[in-house]
Amino acid sequence: MIDNSLLAAMPRKAYARLLANLEPITLNFGEVLYEPGQTIRHVYFPGASLVSLLTLADGHLALEVGLIGREGMVGIPLVLGHRVSAVRALVQGSGAALRMTSANFIKQFRLSLPLQRELYSYVHTLMAQISQTAACNRFHVVEQRLARWLLMTHDRVKSDQFRMTHEFLGHMLGVRRVGVTKAAQALQEHSLISYSRGAITILDRKGLEAAACQCYKVVRDMHEGA
Amino acid sequence: MPAPHTPKQNHLLAALPDAEYARLLPDLEPLPLELGLPLYESGGPQEYVYFPTASIVSLLYVMHDGSSAEIAVVGNEGVVGIALFMGGESTPSRAVVQSAGGAYRLKGGALKTEFERGGTLQHLLLRYTQALITQMAQTAVCNRHHAVEQQLCRWLLLSLDRLSSNELTMTQTLIANMLGVRREGVTEAAGKLQAEGLIQYSRGKITVLDRPKLEARVCECYAVVKQESDRLLSGKRQTADRYL
Repeated sequence: MIDNSLLAAMPRKAYARLLANLEPITLNFGEVLYEPGQTIRHVYFPGASLVSLLTLADGHLALEVGLIGREGMVGIPLVLGHRVSAVRALVQGSGAALRMTSANFIKQFRLSLPLQRELYSYVHTLMAQISQTAACNRFHVVEQRLARWLLMTHDRVKSDQFRMTHEFLGHMLGVRRVGVTKAAQALQEHSLISYSRGAITILDRKGLEAAACQCYKVVRDMHEGA
Repeated sequence: MPAPHTPKQNHLLAALPDAEYARLLPDLEPLPLELGLPLYESGGPQEYVYFPTASIVSLLYVMHDGSSAEIAVVGNEGVVGIALFMGGESTPSRAVVQSAGGAYRLKGGALKTEFERGGTLQHLLLRYTQALITQMAQTAVCNRHHAVEQQLCRWLLLSLDRLSSNELTMTQTLIANMLGVRREGVTEAAGKLQAEGLIQYSRGKITVLDRPKLEARVCECYAVVKQESDRLLSGKRQTADRYL
């Protein structure tokens, strides 16, 4: 079964009702689930997969503002009464997920108080993540932010190695590719990660935690408290 | 003579049907918000939510070392304290009055009771939350990609939209804290806008002289945030109902 903490927190009966409407799928790296301004067709509960929410600026991919994995759900605008996504939702780690059509989701959401409670509180945590990202972008250097991003990814995919290009990381962190390359080299020189042919391996998690800005712990603690 | 202070100067409260408004009215308590007054501290408890009528509240994210950056502004289009109905016990941000003026406050319990009835208030608050998320995400992008001068234009326009005048009481130090940049950066940006006749700055007051030019100068982030909050109230229940 797919290990998603929002679903796992549901009471048995509510969970069974949801499950009947959920369809198991595999999300593939690079797949776009939503584009800004587009109607949302499905919500997704990631298991081992990982989805980035990206905001555009001046028509370009500009910055990751949220990262959703097994702790969350993709499709929060539906919870808030909107049918349109304001961001691009991009699969950043391949893996399993469950999805539900928007129509079914809205029906289930209306019926289920436990689901409402879970999701409202998840929205709160997601907002903390977004606001922390805003502040982090303002104050912290690329190396710290890269370390934070690698840790957040590591927590969600539960594997020490994942695929990633410098260009993609540049979009995530809102910096030029050169900036990412320099930061990744610094982390590699300290033997915290190794990087080769589009794959990043986490070698020293403790060291990476020390290299990351405090933002990482702030958001992680919120998720764990939620 | 200024118009009498009524809760309906807040757009969310004004959009409520009579019955819901009447239920909240006895619990709505008017109060003046003074410049610099903190409404919530980061990590602290929240007893009330605040509906600004003529004031502006800034939501700031505070780092462990004490530095802070504004992540959103809330004025008469919104409400401060959404953690209360989202089920979060505390907020990671600090809420500080950025422009003095009136507001109404409501005990968290009263808001929660009405929210859980699932009527128009719930619908409006959820939609407002989405608009706030958009504002936060756009602020994050703006912080990353746009020059201080553009950010200052965005900040001025978002503030003015929430007031009924073209004048703001504001020091450069405060603006620097909001934008999370050095004061010199703000001084330079404000000096440029003043030299070009877009704003006038003197003794802690900023007057906007040429709004269209300011709009031409601002980054797209302003329009994104504005459209989202305009859509919030113009859309009313349509989106959800048409779909269901």
